[in-house]
Amino acid sequence: MTNILDDYALMSPLRHRNNWLKLVIVLFGLLVGVSSTSPITPLFIALCMSFTTVALGRAPLKLYLKLLLAPVGFALTGVVIIAFFSGSGQELLSFNLAGYPLSVRADGLELALLVLSRSLSGMCCLYFLSLTTPMIELFAVLKATRLPESLIELSMLIYRYIFVFLDMALSIKYAQTVRLGYSNFRRSLNSMGMLGSTLFIRSWEQGDKLFLAMNSRCYDGKMTLFEVHRPVRAIELLLTSVYFLSALALFYFTKNISII
Amino acid sequence: MIILETRGLKYTYPDGTAAVQDINIEIKKGKKIAFVGQNGSGKSTLFLLLNGTLKPNEGEILFHGAPIKYDSKSLREIRKSVGIVFQNSDDQIFAPTVYQDIAFGPANLGYSKERVDACVQQAIEQVGLSRLKDKPPHHLSGGQKKRVAIAGVMAMEPEVIVLDEPLSNLDPVGADEIMDLLNEFNQFGSTIIISTHDVDLAYRWSDYVFLMSNSKLIGQGTPVEVFKEQELLKKTGLRQPTTLEIYHEIERRGLAYGKNSPKSIPDLVNTLKPLDLMWVEVPPGVREGDNLNLGVMYGEYATHSPYEAVNATVLHIHPDGRAIVELKRKGIKAGGVLLYDTDSYSLPEIRQILKDGEIAFVGAMGKKSKTLAEQDGIRLDVTSGVIDKSILMALCGKRCLILTTGGMVDHALKRTREYVEKSGIEFTVGVVNREDGCKWTEETDSNPEAFKV
Repeated sequence: MTNILDDYALMSPLRHRNNWLKLVIVLFGLLVGVSSTSPITPLFIALCMSFTTVALGRAPLKLYLKLLLAPVGFALTGVVIIAFFSGSGQELLSFNLAGYPLSVRADGLELALLVLSRSLSGMCCLYFLSLTTPMIELFAVLKATRLPESLIELSMLIYRYIFVFLDMALSIKYAQTVRLGYSNFRRSLNSMGMLGSTLFIRSWEQGDKLFLAMNSRCYDGKMTLFEVHRPVRAIELLLTSVYFLSALALFYFTKNISII
Repeated sequence: MIILETRGLKYTYPDGTAAVQDINIEIKKGKKIAFVGQNGSGKSTLFLLLNGTLKPNEGEILFHGAPIKYDSKSLREIRKSVGIVFQNSDDQIFAPTVYQDIAFGPANLGYSKERVDACVQQAIEQVGLSRLKDKPPHHLSGGQKKRVAIAGVMAMEPEVIVLDEPLSNLDPVGADEIMDLLNEFNQFGSTIIISTHDVDLAYRWSDYVFLMSNSKLIGQGTPVEVFKEQELLKKTGLRQPTTLEIYHEIERRGLAYGKNSPKSIPDLVNTLKPLDLMWVEVPPGVREGDNLNLGVMYGEYATHSPYEAVNATVLHIHPDGRAIVELKRKGIKAGGVLLYDTDSYSLPEIRQILKDGEIAFVGAMGKKSKTLAEQDGIRLDVTSGVIDKSILMALCGKRCLILTTGGMVDHALKRTREYVEKSGIEFTVGVVNREDGCKWTEETDSNPEAFKV
């Protein structure tokens, strides 16, 4: 079986902590990280969030690094371009590439580092959320934000049946593969089409069955959502405040510092 | 008391296929009912009719003697009272977590938050899933999903539970757990209706059987009556239950006797005729008509036999030194089945019982007892088909302890006592940690009871 991000979140010990606290931490990290003018604060946030996710949230380190690799790789290419093509200050490095003069200037590099650190901190904050808070915990949050009931109910049902259909799709695909359904390009297209249409029909039928099942348990058009009450504990509050204060202090003191 | 009744029930699907025709049934309260028939014989449709999900084209359904009405208020009532568990658990479990799925029914009944919580806690504990209550359903095994589905229905406290093919896609252990659960609910007074094409299950488990074929009811009666009718079974495309088939074959060869049809392996064993004559090696000098005591020797012929052969009469001596003897037997020692109610559980007490009671065989029924035993390192010899195995061991002179809880204690006690009564073979039966329990440990040295053979 393949593990998806949600599975790691389900197994994480931080899952059973207050959802709102986690959301506030993430929101704080995002805002401070993006509004910081020096790369130091975002890096601090990224470090803290990574530590929390891996050490306290028990996300496997290897998986975490792999997950970071994708956005970081993307950010790096952008950063290289920024470093070479923007800024005007002191020239740090220059060379000729196939007749074109390329140079890295001080404030260009500064900007590049800032962009890299900001995107890194943003990624770490979001990974913290997605690796410690499974979807099923977020439904209660969605409800508290006063989204329309039917939207939440639909999302709950969709969440559940994603996995049913995922299983179904995998087993259909397997059944097709063992009968050489994907042996060449033409056949693959054909098989894919059949897979899609079968899934569509199955999901239609599933809808009927679902309605039957809900009806036979007295469904009256409303699914009640039970939120588990999880009080914020003192130690959590303390840690969070320490983190917030040190991040804010860092933010304040590094306001006008340039590292290059 | 009749709880559910149908009169001239007929239902045709919109595309014209007749799903059930002319069904007249009466279901008594507190019974275990099995509908047996091939796939597509109309069982599932009948079940959907029973809780008002489908409306019959003709005929009516009576619940507690009053016809079901199809307005939304009456439907709520009937659906609360007749819970239905679907064949495929994935069709039934739709909430993102186990807890929320089980809470769905009680919440729809308009209970207060506290009451819903109480209902869910009780149901979840009964099916032994307390640890998994915050898990999403796609992280559960087939057996666990089935138990969630059952808990979802149980939480509404229905009078009748209808299960469509409850054991399909389950492994033997998972299937046993579900059946234990159903027996327990039945013990508490729920009427249980299942559909199955497993004749062995229907024969062994149910109190009353309905045979269905081609959307019609073609036979009904107690399992013994129904499964005796070879012709009827052939018509439904079913075979005879294995125990019954084996019994008939043994009987035909003159190796078994008894009039009743054996339901379980202990019953079957009980019908076997013990050997009257056997070949044994005799010491020289023994003559025809002499009496021999084979007591010790007999051990070589049948090492696991519960009997000791005393006073074998030599009938004929063969020239090669072997002789034919006629045996008279006596049970070596009486075994017994002891039940332990894990509702009042203490590890030292169990250890004491295991030691003093010379318990040779320990079994556990129900998730709670199994978990307890696992935690405390009590070695379990058997965890499925526990009652049958224990009876078999008791017949061989062993003492068995069954750890179980709640309604299953009474169920196991009833089953074992019934066996003792029916077979006439006596062994000790009792619940050790109840007030009217048995004084087993003090009896250890008393005379073994003879086996009546």
